[in-house]
Amino acid sequence: MAIGTLPTTAPAAPLSWRARAREILDRERVLGPLFITPALILIALLVAYPFCMALYFAMSNAFIGRPSHFVGISNFVRLWDADAFRQTFQNAFVFTGISVAFKLVLGIALALLLNQQLWFKRIIRGSVLLPWVIPTALSTLGWWWMFNSLYSVVNWTGISLGLMDPPGPNWLGQKYYAMAAVITVNIWRGLPFFAITILAGLVAIPKELYEAAQADGAGPWARFWFVTLPMLKPVLAVVVLFSTIFTFSDFNIVYVLTHGGPINATHLFATYSRMIGLESGRIGEGAAVSLYLFPLLVFVVWAQLRFVRRQAY
Amino acid sequence: MAVTRRRFLGTTTLGLAGIVATRTAPAVGQTREISYLCWNNFAPASDKKLSEIGQRFTKDTGIKLKIDHISHMGPQQAKYASEVQTQAGHDLVEMRMHFPWLYEPQLVDVSDVVTELEKKYGKAISSSYEGAHVNGVWRAVPQYHGMFMAAYREDLFKKASLKVPDTWEDLYAVGKELKKMGNPVGIPISQNYDSISTAGPVLWSFGGMEVDKDGKTVKINSPGTVQTIEWYKKMFKDCMEPEVLSWSDASNNESLQQGKAGWIHNPVSAYIVAKQRKLVTADGINHHRSLGGPAGRFETDTPRHIGIWKFSKNVDASKEWIRYLLGKREVYDEYIMAGDAFNLPAYDKLQDHPVLRTDPKFAALKGEGVQYHTYGWPAPPSDKVQLITNAYILPNMIAKAVTGTATKDAIAWAETEMKKIMAG
Repeated sequence: MAIGTLPTTAPAAPLSWRARAREILDRERVLGPLFITPALILIALLVAYPFCMALYFAMSNAFIGRPSHFVGISNFVRLWDADAFRQTFQNAFVFTGISVAFKLVLGIALALLLNQQLWFKRIIRGSVLLPWVIPTALSTLGWWWMFNSLYSVVNWTGISLGLMDPPGPNWLGQKYYAMAAVITVNIWRGLPFFAITILAGLVAIPKELYEAAQADGAGPWARFWFVTLPMLKPVLAVVVLFSTIFTFSDFNIVYVLTHGGPINATHLFATYSRMIGLESGRIGEGAAVSLYLFPLLVFVVWAQLRFVRRQAY
Repeated sequence: MAVTRRRFLGTTTLGLAGIVATRTAPAVGQTREISYLCWNNFAPASDKKLSEIGQRFTKDTGIKLKIDHISHMGPQQAKYASEVQTQAGHDLVEMRMHFPWLYEPQLVDVSDVVTELEKKYGKAISSSYEGAHVNGVWRAVPQYHGMFMAAYREDLFKKASLKVPDTWEDLYAVGKELKKMGNPVGIPISQNYDSISTAGPVLWSFGGMEVDKDGKTVKINSPGTVQTIEWYKKMFKDCMEPEVLSWSDASNNESLQQGKAGWIHNPVSAYIVAKQRKLVTADGINHHRSLGGPAGRFETDTPRHIGIWKFSKNVDASKEWIRYLLGKREVYDEYIMAGDAFNLPAYDKLQDHPVLRTDPKFAALKGEGVQYHTYGWPAPPSDKVQLITNAYILPNMIAKAVTGTATKDAIAWAETEMKKIMAG
């Protein structure tokens, strides 16, 4: 008995919208951009847009709440005319150069120390991070008390130990001391970042390299110079790169400790920009101050990233 | 009438469309709400009183009032700038000194409110006029003021039989003795506003000025400035300690309160705080009339005003709040009394206010024979004049001179910097 024949091709049942969506999402070309889009939107809104606004402001005569006009690079030219800005420019390089150099040397030393087998290693490693974790404005306020002319615990200790003549250095009122004070606080704050990142690099160096060096008769100094340091170079380059950018754009420490004084001796781009842009309403000039170093920093980033890539491949 | 589903949907859709099109909520059910941004007053009881008055205002008028506080100076400026740039934020803002000049195009004309208040209380005081009357229009309503004056350790003066100074030169004579006693004079010479608040009156008293009243001509290079710098030099050497070069706005207060400084130039807040915290120095602190010089007796005043942003959608309700707080005599009195003489009335007829009689140490606040002005006087506080102030050129000129730069070089530096700003 013929029971009939099955049709060889059944008419395709229409896919449900869910199935269709699933099929589309399975395509890499769709899913990839979809995942990236939220991040792109965030970058566009929170980074690209403010940056473009800053660029526009820097090339305009923008004043808070008033219509602005394009003025080309005249803000940048006029700024260079101001004594306080030239001082700020010099301060930024002195502050960044000395701070980063100290943080690098001390950071390597601290990382080497933390890499040893120590008692309470975890607690010590955790507490080293404290300066990095505490909000900068708050910790700087503590330093302000320590350097304050009326309550200075630094001077009190120095005088008590016979290391200083009373009343002790005028930490925040004399230009070299004030610069030393802001640099000290910056080093104190930035050191954990260096130490912990370098420590991560140290831990990743294969033990065999040290064993081989030791077998070849290398002492501790030679092992550090010919094994540790070369292996750390990529990490150091990235840390220095980040720290240079962060230190150049530091604000809190100077704002809380010296307000840019005495006689503008500790102003940095961020504090000077705030004074011009927000306190005096000249947004255009304020933006120009903060963007002054942009070309230089771009070059630093490019050069260091190039160096890192060469080291890596 | 029964409301069918179709009828309900139709009506609400039409209503919503209307609201969206006109961007206005229907009058029925609309609650008027305003927000007011002010600073954390140095007299905290004043903020508490403001909140109380605000609640009564809401009860009496049905207008909801939200009061926000922000810390002094720095954050305030950043907040104002962001509100103006984004055209969003509070309806009313408390403004200090010359802020209405900076934000002139963004502030509602409040001349009508000020006229009413002036009819009732007399003219607004000169410093309020200088700060809030911008190019012929009141851009903010004078609220209160607090002036600088002389605060000193009366107990130490009596102990050493020192005469209360009447001029800046007298202060030098007294200051030398105070320094010998270990209680130096405390006048900041640093990048803060108190430094300008003292340098201004000293400069004016010696006949000097930064910029002429035309608002354009830089006049810092004058015999008055030379006298001012020479006075500062000898004060720095013989009556003060180098720490004044590092001081913040609070340092002179603390130095007097902690028993170090024997004389400071400051508003009455140093004494008020010492009294509130029951410090041992509180009883010994007193005030005396501001000091004079060859050209007269001048003082820095710090008037405060209330402005309304133009982007506010509640201008009328905002004006109603100002009228409630400042226009009702009993409310204004209540508010002023809560400020413990740190906030004084900003109108002529109220100058002899009962708050001055709440403590005998407030007597000097009457300020008889003293001219009160804001920074940069006699120039109108244009944006350029304010940049000169905010760049701390005046205290930096003095700091340079007292730390070794020749007087004429320090003045030449200041003149060059001021001229660059005026030309920019």
